[in-house]
Formats: sequence, structure tokens, C-alpha cells
Amino acid sequence: MRSDVRRTMLFVSLCLAVFVFVGTGVSGDDITARARNLHFSSMVVDTHADTTQRLIDGDFDLGPRNLKGSVDIPRMKQGGLGAIFFSIWIPSKITGPIAVNRALEQIEAVREQVRKHSQDLVLATTAAGVREAREQGKIALLMGVEGGHMIHSDLGVLRKFAELGVRYMTLTHSGNCEWADSSTDKPVHNGLTDFGKDVIREMNRLGLMVDVSHVSDKTFRDVLRVSKAPIIASHSNCRALCDHPRNMSDEMIRALAAKGGVIQINYHVGFLSQVFRSAERAHPEINQSIAMEVQKRCGEKEGCQLIEGDRITREYVEQGKLPRVDWTEIIEHIDHAVKVAGIDHVGLGSDFDGANMPFGMEDATSLPKITEALLRKGYSEGDVKKILGENTLRLMAGVERISRELNTTKRN
Amino acid sequence: MRSARAIFLFAVICLLAPNTLVRSVRADDLAERAHKLQFSSIVIDTHDDTTQRFFSKAGFDLGKRNSDGAIDIPRMREGGMNGIFFSIWIDGHIMGPTAIQKALDQIDAVRENVAKYPKDIVMARTAEDVRRTHAQGKIAALMGVEGGHMLGNDIRMVRIFSDLGVRYMTLSHFYNTEWSDSSTDKPAHNGLTDFGKEIVREMNRQGMLVDISHVSDKTFYDALEISKAPLIASHSSCRALCDHVRDMSDDMIKALAAKGGVIQINYEKSFIDQGYKDASAKATGGVVEMISQLKKTCGDDEECFEREGAKLEKRLTDEGKLPHVSWERIIDHIDHAVKLVGADHVGLGSDFDGANMPEGMEDASKLPKITEALLRKGYSEGDIRKILGENTLRIMEQAEKVSKELQARP
Repeated sequence: MRSDVRRTMLFVSLCLAVFVFVGTGVSGDDITARARNLHFSSMVVDTHADTTQRLIDGDFDLGPRNLKGSVDIPRMKQGGLGAIFFSIWIPSKITGPIAVNRALEQIEAVREQVRKHSQDLVLATTAAGVREAREQGKIALLMGVEGGHMIHSDLGVLRKFAELGVRYMTLTHSGNCEWADSSTDKPVHNGLTDFGKDVIREMNRLGLMVDVSHVSDKTFRDVLRVSKAPIIASHSNCRALCDHPRNMSDEMIRALAAKGGVIQINYHVGFLSQVFRSAERAHPEINQSIAMEVQKRCGEKEGCQLIEGDRITREYVEQGKLPRVDWTEIIEHIDHAVKVAGIDHVGLGSDFDGANMPFGMEDATSLPKITEALLRKGYSEGDVKKILGENTLRLMAGVERISRELNTTKRN
Repeated sequence: MRSARAIFLFAVICLLAPNTLVRSVRADDLAERAHKLQFSSIVIDTHDDTTQRFFSKAGFDLGKRNSDGAIDIPRMREGGMNGIFFSIWIDGHIMGPTAIQKALDQIDAVRENVAKYPKDIVMARTAEDVRRTHAQGKIAALMGVEGGHMLGNDIRMVRIFSDLGVRYMTLSHFYNTEWSDSSTDKPAHNGLTDFGKEIVREMNRQGMLVDISHVSDKTFYDALEISKAPLIASHSSCRALCDHVRDMSDDMIKALAAKGGVIQINYEKSFIDQGYKDASAKATGGVVEMISQLKKTCGDDEECFEREGAKLEKRLTDEGKLPHVSWERIIDHIDHAVKLVGADHVGLGSDFDGANMPEGMEDASKLPKITEALLRKGYSEGDIRKILGENTLRIMEQAEKVSKELQARP
């Protein structure tokens, strides 16, 4: 009896255990495996990383796996990142010909990395070029100029940037440029000046994506009216979830989408999390002391500043001085933007190596988590592919088509 | 009486006819051969300052025949010129990032203006591009940066300029750069500095021809020693015939040729004619001084610069202060250089739109005269083709080959 009972109980519990194990195991394995397959068979495109500044500091190379920062060839491969836009960036207070010179240096540094690592990297300037890189088993490197101050109000310089491979220009950075207002400066142009509108038209003609991240709301609306091609927000989030001027209101996201544009979700904790944003605002002294610490570690080396800013912020979070933000917030922003704008208008613009990354999204190797989380949320594989990169490629192809049309019209 | 007149007339005709007939047949034959040769050859001019005209207020049009200047598509077509190096040039006193930005503007102006006439002219980068363009019946447009000051002392700009299509860089213009001495400035670096040598090596790596026109003799010899690819003197003539620092001594030409390089003969009067050079030095202080005076008067106003320059030139010539110079002096310089180093090392670098042209070589339409004159001098068709453009293509190919080899190394 006892042995029977015991045997029966053992059997039942075994069955239960097996059932539970198999049950959860199957569904867990299934989604994880599906996510993995999906992720590594998709075109994963990141429209904004500040890795370029590390190249300029002089002691960084994309080849080996690095302990610091978020992006290098081994980690991009591990994370299934197929294409990445390297940002050409200098602070907006630097203007004039020196800004042109420094932008060229960064463009050159990116091109030099491509030459150096031609086995793994290829410089792409079109959607087709990105797909071709993929077919060759290489990562497509692209370039975006982050701030109109770098063209020195000179359309000739803009054209040379385009010729050297730049595929988008963010109209401003944190400060206004000579012809456009920034979201984080006092408005002086009421959006775009007339010359600013000429810049947009020339960008349309050249097939450069017009990037509205960083710009003021009025600049955004002006751009939307002037641009003949769909526009990109290369690294911006949803104001509805985190009220920061760098993020976009639902109305802006809808307007962007209505003209075929894409909002690329930024992973920066201060743009993801209202709690973090509020804490930052409540304690400006924390940011000041982070800035001082950064200065101490890096001096004027901007690549170092960006990386160390992220590391020091992380230390403050670990010390409990700033709230912890998890990577899952990224999913919340993607999901919100999809609900507001539709599945065709959302993508990824990490801000890796230029911002403070949330826990669990320290570097490019963590990207497959996004795919898995979206699948778990019930997104179809087709929808996930769009977010991972297809929307960006569609946008690029659209901008290229408009460029061809405009050039044909002009020549005739 | 009548018949006597008729006989006399007949006799005269008989006497004259063979002469005229013979002469005209021979002349026609040569002229025709020259014409055929000119229009079947790749004719490359390695130095034209036409770029600066794109910035003139009136809006210079490359596609229309202009009444002034020397270069436009109709006149290039008429002269059989099918390869042109547009010079990227700004005053040598402008340095740093401003120089870079202004150089970009000029590169942009070349591209934008060339793009207006895609049926006639297209941008070219390699020797192969030039040949393909020629086969399509179009003119190949290339670019050379005239003066290392436009790098803004930043070696990365060598790669940027190269990526933007620039195929040679003249190491200096009239003034020393931060890293090279000019022939028309006081030596400050004893030739090339170490950084200057780095730049030459980087140019080799990029397949950009190292241009030693304008540089000091010591800079020339330094560049010759460092460069792994043959050098170009994109627009220089022979000092043996006209003793100007901008020209090259026989020793320099020999050294250049020994390493495979090419001297591209410049048509500027004060570089080809000793009498003119001496008179010009007396009347204006020489070409460098004259240009710097004109720059003072006109600033960046390109039209003013051209107008005032022509006015001054005309006045001094009318006053008898400057002698007339014939285009045939160009032939003398070509011939001197060929006699010195052979036909493989001589080419054409007119300096059109940037210098004072001799009489009879006012613009690109006059180029066939050079071919005919060389034929008359007894040059073979093969040698003439080399001078007209093949030598330039050969050193471009060599520079491209060196670049490939250097880039293949880790």
C-alpha cells in the first residue's frame, strides 16, 4: 500500500514534473528559437551610433572586441546587427570652417575603418547597398551628419558630404544652427530659415534623409512641409512615455508617419524613462558632478566623454543616486510608437556609444532580446522585421527614388 | 597680240603651277595628317585654372562659346582637347580649415558645372576612365589641387580629396606651406619637412600624382627621393630656355624622367620666353608680384582679376614694355625637353585661364597647331600621341598601380 501509494505519487509527480518541464520548456524554447532565427535572418539596422568619436580619440579600432563602449565588429556580429549609421558629430558650439574640417576628419575615419576591415565591413549609401553587404556576409556601415552646423551654411559642403557617403543629416544638434532651431536651445529662427528650406530641398535632390531628431517642434513642422521625401527621426522616443523635448509627441509621430517617415527608438535612459528624467531634473547637481567626473577622465576627448558619461551614470545608478532603467523600456516605446503611427513607421536608433544605456542593453550583443520581446508581445515575424530594419530600408529607397525624380526634372 | 598674251599667261601659269601644286599638296598632306592625328589622339591638358571662373558673378557657362578666357566645351571640341585637369586653387595665404572649405567649394563647382553637360563632359578618375570617356566621344574632366596649403595641415584631407576625385596635388603654390618650400618664397623648411614626406607617402597610397610644379628645387629633390610613384610637373617649362624659378633645370628634368615622370609644358609667356620674362620683371616685378598686386586690387573678384590683368598686359605691350611672344616658343620647350629626356617624359600643361598666353595660343581651339608643328619638326605620330596625352595616362596608371600595391600591405 505504502509502496503503491509512494509509487503512484512518484509517478504522478514525475508526470507533473515532466509536463511542467516540457510545457514551459517547449513554449520557452520555441519563442527563443524563433526569435533567434528571426533576428539572424532579418536586416537589423541601427540608425544612430556615436562610435565615430571613439575613432577620433585615436586608440580605438572596430576590429577587436572592446571592453568599453557598445559597438565593434565582434559585438555587432554577435548581436546580428547588419547595418549601422555612424554619426558624424561635433558639439554645436563649434562652427565655421573648423566644423567642416572636423566633420571631414570623422567621415574619413569611418571610411578608413571600412578600408581597414574590408573583410567585415562595407560602406553603404543605398538600401540596395545595405542588402548587398548582407549577401556578402558583411556589415554595412553608413554615415549620418548629426548637426547642420557642420556644413557652415554652404550647400557645396553638403554636397561633398553626400559624395563622401553621408546618407542623412540631423538638422541641428543640442544648439540651434545658423538656419534651424534645436529642441534644446532658445528658438531664434522660428523653425527653419529660408536658407534652411533650401538645405532641405538640396538634401531631397541629393537623396540625403532629412533627420528631425534634436530639432525644435517648429523646425520639425517646417521640414514636414518643405521636404518632398519622407523624413527620419534617427534617434528619438515618445514624449507620451517620457516628456523630454528630444522626444516626439504623439501628434508629431502621426504627422511623421503620415508622410511615410520612421521614428527610430533611442535607448538613452533619459529619453526612455520618465522616472529617470524626473530624477535628473530634480537633482541637476548629479548631472553636474557626472559632467565634472567625465571632464576629469577625458579632457577634451569627445569619444571618451560619451563612453565615460555612460559608465559614470551607471555607477550613480548602482549607488542608488539615480533610478535604474531596464532595457524593457525600449519595448514600451516601440510598442507605443507602433500603436500611434502603425507598424511601418518605427525602427531602431540606439544612440550606442553616445548615451546612457539601460540595464540589459549595454551593447550590440543584447539586440536579439528586442526581437524576442516583440515576439512575446505578440508581434508577427513580418512586423518585427519591419521594426528591425525593413522600415529604414523602405525609407531609404523612397528617398532615393525622390532624388532620382528631382534630378531628372532638373536636368530636363 | 592676243595670242602673245595668252602664251605669256600660259607660261606664267606653267611656271607657277608646279610650285603651288607641290607646296599645297605637301602642306595639305601634313595639315591633314596633323588634323587626323590630333582628333584621333587622347589630348590631355594637365593644368587649367578655369575652375575659378565658375565663381565669377556673371556666371561663366562651360557649355557655351565664350568671348574671353581659353576654355569651354565648344573650344575644347574645336581644339580636340578631350582630357582636362581643372585646377582647385585658392590663394596660398589662406590656410587652415578655411582653405579646406574653399577647396571643397571648388571641387563642388567643377562637379556641378560638369554635371550640366553630361553629353559632352564627364568626371574621370583613372586612366581607364579617361580612355573610356574618349571612346564615348566625351571630354574627361579631372581635378588637381594646386597647393598643399589646402590640406589645412591635416593629412586626412589627402584621403578626402582623393575620395572626392582629386588626382594630383601640387605640393605648394607661390608660398611655402607648413611643410614644403615653394620656388617663389624664401625657403623655410629646406624642402619637405618630415610631415611633408608623410604627405607624399599618403599621396602614393591614394594614387594621387605628386605635382612638383611651383615647389622649390630642394622640395623637388626631396619629393623625388620619397615618392614611390613617378612625379608630374603639371605646368612647368624649361629653365634652359627661360631662366625662371617656376621652370625646371635640365638636371631636374633628367632626374624627373629617370624616375618615370613627365614635365607638362606651361604656355605662360614669362615661363617660355626669356625676353618677356626679363621685361616683365622690369615692368611689373614679375608674374608673382603682378598677381599679388592684382589680388590686392581685386580681392576675390575673379572678373576684376581677369579684366585688370588683361588691361595691364595690353597697356604694357602697347607701350612696348613687354615684347610679343609667339606660340611657337611652346614648341621650342617641348623640343628641348624631348631632346633632353626623350618623348616619354613630356606633355602639355597649358595654364589656360590662369596665365598670359602667347600669341597664336589664345585658347583651346588652337591646340592642333602644336600637333602640326611637331609633325613638321619630324616627330613621329607615336611620339606626338605620347606628348599629347599618352604620357600623362601612363603616369596615372603607374600611380594607380603603386597605390594598389601600397594598399595591399597591412
